[in-house]
Amino acid sequence: MHFLFVPGLITVFSLAVIWAALQLDLSPAMIVGDSLQPRVFPIFLMILNLGLVALLVFQYRKSPPKIVARETYHTWSTMALFVLFYPLTVYLDMFIGIAVVMFLMCLLWGERRILVAAAVALATPLTMFFLFDLVLRVRFPRGLLTNWYYG
Amino acid sequence: MVEALQAMASVMFDPYLLLLIFMTTVLGVVIGVLPGLGATTGAALLLPFTLTMEPVHAIAVLATIYVSATFAGSITAILINTPGTAAAAATTFDGYPLAQRGEAGRALGIAVVSSTIGGVFSVIVLCVAAPMLARVAYEFRPPEYFALTLFGLSMLASISAGGTIRNLIGGVFGVWLATIGAEPTTGIERFMFGNYELYEGLGFVPVFIGLFAISELLIQSERINRIIETISMKAVLLPSREDYKKIWKTVLRSCGIGTFIGVLPAEGATVASMIGYSEAKRWSKNKEEFGKGAIEGIAGAEAANNAATGGAMVPTMVLGIPGSGTTAVILVGLMVHGLRPGPYLFTEQVTTVYQIFGAMLLANLMFLGMGLYAAKFFARISLVPLQILWPIVFALAIIGAYALSSSLLDVWIVLIFGVVGFFARRNGFAVAPIAVGLILGEMVETNFQNSLKMFEGEWWLILTQPLAALFLVFALLGLFGAPLTAWIGRMRK
Repeated sequence: MHFLFVPGLITVFSLAVIWAALQLDLSPAMIVGDSLQPRVFPIFLMILNLGLVALLVFQYRKSPPKIVARETYHTWSTMALFVLFYPLTVYLDMFIGIAVVMFLMCLLWGERRILVAAAVALATPLTMFFLFDLVLRVRFPRGLLTNWYYG
Repeated sequence: MVEALQAMASVMFDPYLLLLIFMTTVLGVVIGVLPGLGATTGAALLLPFTLTMEPVHAIAVLATIYVSATFAGSITAILINTPGTAAAAATTFDGYPLAQRGEAGRALGIAVVSSTIGGVFSVIVLCVAAPMLARVAYEFRPPEYFALTLFGLSMLASISAGGTIRNLIGGVFGVWLATIGAEPTTGIERFMFGNYELYEGLGFVPVFIGLFAISELLIQSERINRIIETISMKAVLLPSREDYKKIWKTVLRSCGIGTFIGVLPAEGATVASMIGYSEAKRWSKNKEEFGKGAIEGIAGAEAANNAATGGAMVPTMVLGIPGSGTTAVILVGLMVHGLRPGPYLFTEQVTTVYQIFGAMLLANLMFLGMGLYAAKFFARISLVPLQILWPIVFALAIIGAYALSSSLLDVWIVLIFGVVGFFARRNGFAVAPIAVGLILGEMVETNFQNSLKMFEGEWWLILTQPLAALFLVFALLGLFGAPLTAWIGRMRK
């Protein structure tokens, strides 16, 4: 029955979208005219999706998909680094977030030379910051480092 | 016509553009040889860097990445049995066995020459076919555009990765993503959950970067300890006269197949190379050599995948319907730089359009030189340690996504869609249909709404429009053609 997990997930998602679509405001008939209310198209899409999911289940019953191997420790840890990136960016600085995540990712993925990992983690965001700031004129979000740089 | 040729030739006299094309060709080849970093990811990551460029320069950069990365995937396919891009997967079937026999240089030479012929052929077709199609497309009104976008979405059913149903589910999900934000006619907010940064909808670029680059990063995290065997090579050899005699028919056939497949909405180089390879095998006198190092196999796959690049640009530029994942990014690039894809591009921006074509032609010729003289060097780049490469891709993805509209929300979108894309791919769903669905979503809804207004709510009148009806028939064929053929085949047996 493992093959029902993904179709089940899509079904729940589709039903949730239908529910959310039903909560949308209705537009006055004068504005809508001969076209559709804004909720109709997403609901139609999700009904279509439910039909496709039914076909998928039928297909999986005939030839079940291979059992997907569990995600590795490296994958989960990498995703955890993405989560860590959020507070670092919001409360400290986006570039601190990038550098810390890069450094930890290098080590996590097997880089044994700490100095190399540190060099990559510092040089890449720094180079890109100056490229975007000086050449492409992009202003980055305020944080510890950018406040100091922008003044 | 003269104006078009002048515009194409002008590329040769713009030193800055020449330099850009050269540098981007090198970069494209590097991106192509790095397993996991294909043309689509490369173009998505590079798009923010083109922000301050002139539109011609920016699109030339993206188009050059497309053609050079598509070619470069063959280098690692031949030398380390790992296709740098999905489009080079068919090249491994015969390229690697030939390399194992000690003929890596010959295999690469055939790949380079076939790719160049395929690429140049498709650009010529692009130059001729695109304006002709544009003239037809002037007549399109909402019903025709609606039917055409449905045709584009139906073609997702036959994208090589994933399966028919899974691709369609991905496409529908992509179309739904396009409904997030204010509804264009009424201004009613949909699925924004109070976040007004989503008022104009999800940005294409952050979603693409997440789906292609970050999801690939997570996929690569599962391959950290993989051991790669490389085959050494002295130099790339140009095909001999005997080789040319053996492959010229295959190359020509694959040029036609690749360009045709490329023109079909949503199909791309991967499908083209698979069909090019199988057709090469079907027509070959030496079928038993296939899989053991047949040069026709390499030529068939490589000519077809590069021919698909020019073909895929036709619907992208003329109709605003992406011909592949990478052209979806190029389409966004056109829009970001204020070039409205569609038939009017060919009357309002003739010079720009032909300069882009000229740049593609030049890029095809440049990678011929690079492939012949520097393939050995580029192959070494593929051995860059994953633990250095992918953290750099992470930084590029985050900063690039932020830079486009200076919004931190885009950064979170990148990460969320990276994780979504990763789990989708792990469960057999391709991410390209989601990207194509996202691009076509607004077109399909807006044109359907406008058609309803045109016909005062009588939707079935769409079927009375000859071209719209024709596209709808194509859409049905796209959806049911393959299962129907299989069923007829079974009945005959």
